[in-house]
Amino acid sequence: MRQDRIGFLFLTPALIAVVLFYLLPVVMTAVFAFTNMSTSTGIRGGDYMLTEGSLRDLREQGLNEATLSHLADAGYVVDAEGLAALAEAFGAPLAERVEAALGGQSFATGRDLERALRDLRAPEIRMTRDRKRAADLFQRSVLNIRHDTAAALAADLSAAGIPQSEQDPIVEVAYTGWSWTTRNFELLLSLPSTARYAINTLIYVALTLVIFNVGLGLFLAISTFYLPERTAATFRAIWFMPRILPPVLYVLMWKWLMWDNGFLASALAPFGVERINWMMHSEYHAWVAVILINGVVGASFGMIIFASAIKAIPQTMLLASEVDGATRWQQVRFIILPQMRWPILFVTAYQTLSLLASFEYILLSTGGGPGSATEVWAMAAFRTALNNYGGNLQYGMGATFALVLVIIGTALSLLYLRFFNFQALLAKPRIER
Amino acid sequence: MQEQRAPNARHWPLIAGLVALSAPLVVMYLYQVIDTVTTTPPGSIIPDGVTLGHWRFLAGPLSEGGPSVWSLAGNTLVFATCTALVVTSVSVTAAYALSRLNMPGRGFFLGGLIVLHAFPTITLIVAVFLILQYMGLYDTLTGVILVKVAFELPFGIWIMKGFYDSVPWEIEMAGVTDGADRFTVWRLLVLPQVQPGLAALLIFSFLSGWSEFILPLVLAPANAPQVLATYLAGIIADDRFADFSLFKAVSIFYALPVLAIYMIFQKKLMNIYGGGTKG
Repeated sequence: MRQDRIGFLFLTPALIAVVLFYLLPVVMTAVFAFTNMSTSTGIRGGDYMLTEGSLRDLREQGLNEATLSHLADAGYVVDAEGLAALAEAFGAPLAERVEAALGGQSFATGRDLERALRDLRAPEIRMTRDRKRAADLFQRSVLNIRHDTAAALAADLSAAGIPQSEQDPIVEVAYTGWSWTTRNFELLLSLPSTARYAINTLIYVALTLVIFNVGLGLFLAISTFYLPERTAATFRAIWFMPRILPPVLYVLMWKWLMWDNGFLASALAPFGVERINWMMHSEYHAWVAVILINGVVGASFGMIIFASAIKAIPQTMLLASEVDGATRWQQVRFIILPQMRWPILFVTAYQTLSLLASFEYILLSTGGGPGSATEVWAMAAFRTALNNYGGNLQYGMGATFALVLVIIGTALSLLYLRFFNFQALLAKPRIER
Repeated sequence: MQEQRAPNARHWPLIAGLVALSAPLVVMYLYQVIDTVTTTPPGSIIPDGVTLGHWRFLAGPLSEGGPSVWSLAGNTLVFATCTALVVTSVSVTAAYALSRLNMPGRGFFLGGLIVLHAFPTITLIVAVFLILQYMGLYDTLTGVILVKVAFELPFGIWIMKGFYDSVPWEIEMAGVTDGADRFTVWRLLVLPQVQPGLAALLIFSFLSGWSEFILPLVLAPANAPQVLATYLAGIIADDRFADFSLFKAVSIFYALPVLAIYMIFQKKLMNIYGGGTKG
């Protein structure tokens, strides 16, 4: 087999996965952002149904009262059309009897008509089930009936005697599905909470990154570098654990530490410190908790990257500086830190994106609270679309939130592609065939 | 400078600083284990008795009609194992194509790989949630596995490509000169060379699947496909159980495979996590 053929064969499964779960979702996020999809509209387009609620809406829109009361009252009418249907279903004799006894009459509910039919004592409809079936043939109300298409609803409206000229607004109100809209973007720009989420995200990313991923990460890498191997390994293992532990367990440990009946509260109580929930007591407590929890995981990422970069520094450089009488601090300042420029850039670039989109630890610890003090952008998207207490999930609005992140994410990762030495990766295969 | 000797006077200030920094973590780790087998009076931090009561969930469901941890562990095992196997097998071929095969569009695919590797996948969750609903895979373990695999793939291919890149060309040249086609060369000569990479990726993606929380939470919230992560988060959030010792026992049960794998493969994992994608 030729190698380009094998190449495509080898790539195909990965390509399918990428198309289905990266390209399609990126495009669909943009598409969904222009819809008003939510739990109540469903996601598959809708049907047409008039309810009491839609009548209220129509009254507000100024539909004339006559039509409204017609819509509200239209119930069961014994008319020619219904009689024809009845003749077909149960035979002409019954239809004639019904026409003679009830022709032209209206009934508010199906039950009223059934009662009238029972009083006829016709053998064809002796069974309750049959009577119900017969009564249904005369139903002319359009309330609370699902219609699959606009045309079906319009036909029923005509049958109920609503003039063609007034049907359009009624059909529009009756639509239960989703529709295209740009309202999400208007909302996004006008809601005060949007700015709040943006600022929260900025604080969260900046503080976690600077203090922990880079700051603490560097400190851990450099300090363990100067310690004897076994001592260093112990500390590295302690700081590596948060990364390996499942997030649910990791956050549970922090909750236990900071919750109001937890370790901190109990340990400080003998010293006269009031028992409080150290994680949720105030906005500041929550922020410290969120940044600590994310930061410790981030610090271990930094530590690993920086530690391996320090290992790559030629020993001779460090030995020479020691011979020249450099102190440890001077060594760090003038030899190690300058070599850390690229690793720091890498950690910053990589973690900015990953922090920007992550909300797992926040969701598990403060849940965005107290209030929405620690709610970040990615979590707002998640909550709006997938998980809120109200229960009406706003898929369209959530997608709009997510779209902003998707755009930033795509732009930044394309930028990194330019930024980090791409040509080196492209080393040409050395076998032609 | 790495010194093999025992700590000397010069090291102590540094060690003292590190101990102070690490103390909260160590306290958390210690109590995470101790609390599962002891009782502690309310408001105290010193245990006063030994008990196995916190492990009662092993015998039967915690609440009437609740799931048993064993079936949850089964789901989690299926989820993590399938994720690991599929991620590894898809990565192992795709990475070879990207690393070694001369094919049109290779540069484009490589660029795409780097972009995907940096791209924060979790932002796609809203769209993926709706797409799974359209596909009819919502609330199934299959759906979550597919999404998890796709999200892990860029990392997996990246890692495997690194391993392929370090295989000497001479091995392949020799195979090709002897008349074998590239597929045979890959299967018989190259694959054995990247076996450490295969093992590392299998372990990594298994752990990643075992720990995954958000995807099962969003894409399969029903009871049948529930995994340990979502179950544990559920009982922690549930007001009926306000018992940290119980949570800790369940979470130790949940994390046992992770801890075991960590003990065995510590060194290997530290290397591979350097390229990881978490927080």
